Amino acid sequence: MRLSKFVFVSCFFLATAAHASGLAFVINSGGASVSLVDMSSQKEMRRIPVLREPHHLALTPDGKSLLIGDTVGNELLFFDPATAALQKRMPMADPYQLGFSPGGKFLVVNGLARNQIDVYDGATLQLLKRFPIASMPSHLDYAPDGSRVFVSLQGTDSLVAIDLNRLAVLWTAKVGKTPAGVMWHDGKVLVANMGTDYVAMVNPADGRVTGKIHTGKGAHNLFISPDRKIIWVNNRVAGTTLSLDAATLAPIRSYAIPGGPDDIAFAPDGKLWITRRWAEKVAVLDPTTGAYGTVDVGRSPHGLFLNPKGTPPTGVAAR
Amino acid sequence: MGDPFDLAAGWLQEHLLIPLLYALDLMQWEDVSYGWALFAVYGAVQVAVTFAVCVPLERWRPVERWPDAAAVWVDVFYTVLSRVGVLPLFTFVLFYRAQVSLNGFLADHGWVPPTLERLFPPLLGQPVLTFLLYAIILDCADYWRHRLSHMFGWWWALHSLHHAQRQMTFWSDDRNHVLDDLIGALWFGLIALAIGVPPLQFPLLVLVLRFLESLSHANARVSFGWLGERLLISPRFHRAHHGLLAAGQRSCNYGAVLPWWDMLFGTADFSRDYVATGDPTGPEALASGSYLRQQWAGLRRFARALTKTPRAPAG
Repeated sequence: MRLSKFVFVSCFFLATAAHASGLAFVINSGGASVSLVDMSSQKEMRRIPVLREPHHLALTPDGKSLLIGDTVGNELLFFDPATAALQKRMPMADPYQLGFSPGGKFLVVNGLARNQIDVYDGATLQLLKRFPIASMPSHLDYAPDGSRVFVSLQGTDSLVAIDLNRLAVLWTAKVGKTPAGVMWHDGKVLVANMGTDYVAMVNPADGRVTGKIHTGKGAHNLFISPDRKIIWVNNRVAGTTLSLDAATLAPIRSYAIPGGPDDIAFAPDGKLWITRRWAEKVAVLDPTTGAYGTVDVGRSPHGLFLNPKGTPPTGVAAR
Repeated sequence: MGDPFDLAAGWLQEHLLIPLLYALDLMQWEDVSYGWALFAVYGAVQVAVTFAVCVPLERWRPVERWPDAAAVWVDVFYTVLSRVGVLPLFTFVLFYRAQVSLNGFLADHGWVPPTLERLFPPLLGQPVLTFLLYAIILDCADYWRHRLSHMFGWWWALHSLHHAQRQMTFWSDDRNHVLDDLIGALWFGLIALAIGVPPLQFPLLVLVLRFLESLSHANARVSFGWLGERLLISPRFHRAHHGLLAAGQRSCNYGAVLPWWDMLFGTADFSRDYVATGDPTGPEALASGSYLRQQWAGLRRFARALTKTPRAPAG
């Protein structure tokens, strides 16, 4: 075997071995489908059709079901997170962004198109209260004790805080243009303002903006790494993903991720899976080198979920 | 490798629309703008494909030859405006909002719009079959929208703009009064509330359907044969609908893609061959005016129809 060929083959196997194994769910919001991706080969293996326009997902507190909201289809789908088998379907009005509170007592579902925030009992999924709200409730996060939820309101440049035990709005405050991603961090609420180039630091007691972290044009969403040392921010307009030191909130490094970077999931091998909304791809970013590979998926990939213990379907049956 | 049309729309979104929305403080419309970009890209492809097929057909076997085809250029403008321009933007921004508000109101009162797949669960996982069923239902709905637009005087006043063209070509499909288009959008919005709407996930099939609608207006001696004309609407069949004698409130062949509804509801006429088109009862501005003159003339005709005292029924 010639040396160059040997090096090529060795690199190929090393590269393959370096990928984490498992099953990835990628929601194609513009394609009315869910792509199932083999994390090891980084290939789409199957595409599950849903009704209309799925966007986001949430894992149940017991880890037995992955909930995917189909907004225009007005339906919540339950999947086995290990096998992607469909468990059940439940009618639900406009489930856009959704998430269980810490401890699982509540499930909050934002209806972005219908201007409503629904609070469900986390165990029975019975609707406890609907908050009609102005307007376009988008992303959400909870206080660590699960007593409050914070929801960004894209249409009114605001953040709303809701007391979940009393089921009452605590405050609504202007936080910047077109707020999107929300994250509780170190006693503050961080809000990525998509109409600006910064993440606002918000006082959870009254909604007052106490500071700004400039991240890039179209700051859209933010995620904390599994070791809680780095906060990752996707900038929609700039086409970048920025890492921040979680302790100081100082920028560390910016990565070019074109095509509308949106949601992020963390793989066990240290790579970041990032949906690229207008490229029909997921970027798999190696933060050490800054290089990224791509996974072809469906139209307008949005929410994603990685299950390293999941079993991907065998045999490519996509499309 | 992704869908090339989608990637073109993505490029448009990333490099043109998003920077524009960001500069104008309109980032909350970013999802809607992507929908419009998809619509515009597919619209441009529709126009290109239709042009590539219909122009040779019209030159090969024209029904009519005109020394001056100036009136056709207005129809070209209508087509561009409708398929890749302002009207899709209008639909996506304003109509989307109106539909969301209405859906929200209904949902708050316990009505979640059903979908075909929910009514017939085996359809889930059969996206092409589902889409074809939607296409058939929507075609039937369009037959009745079209037929009603000929029955009511005020509606015909608007729709007569479409029929005024004496130099009918494949470009004439989108020649409509904006109020007529708006009524059509509301009509399909109501249908969507009843059966759900298919997402933009089968754009190639949509492209084929729109192509057939354009083709049916072509100035070409094209027939699909005895059986074919009973399966799909041909230029010969649809031309009878645009004929001088068929204009107005008594017409025939109202279908857009499938002739089945005309056959089922007794309005099919397969006997007429390549008749002259136009509406002799309408003002000349509707036929040969500029875009704005046609719109204005249609509005005036509409206003007159609304204020006209209806005749008492005989007997």
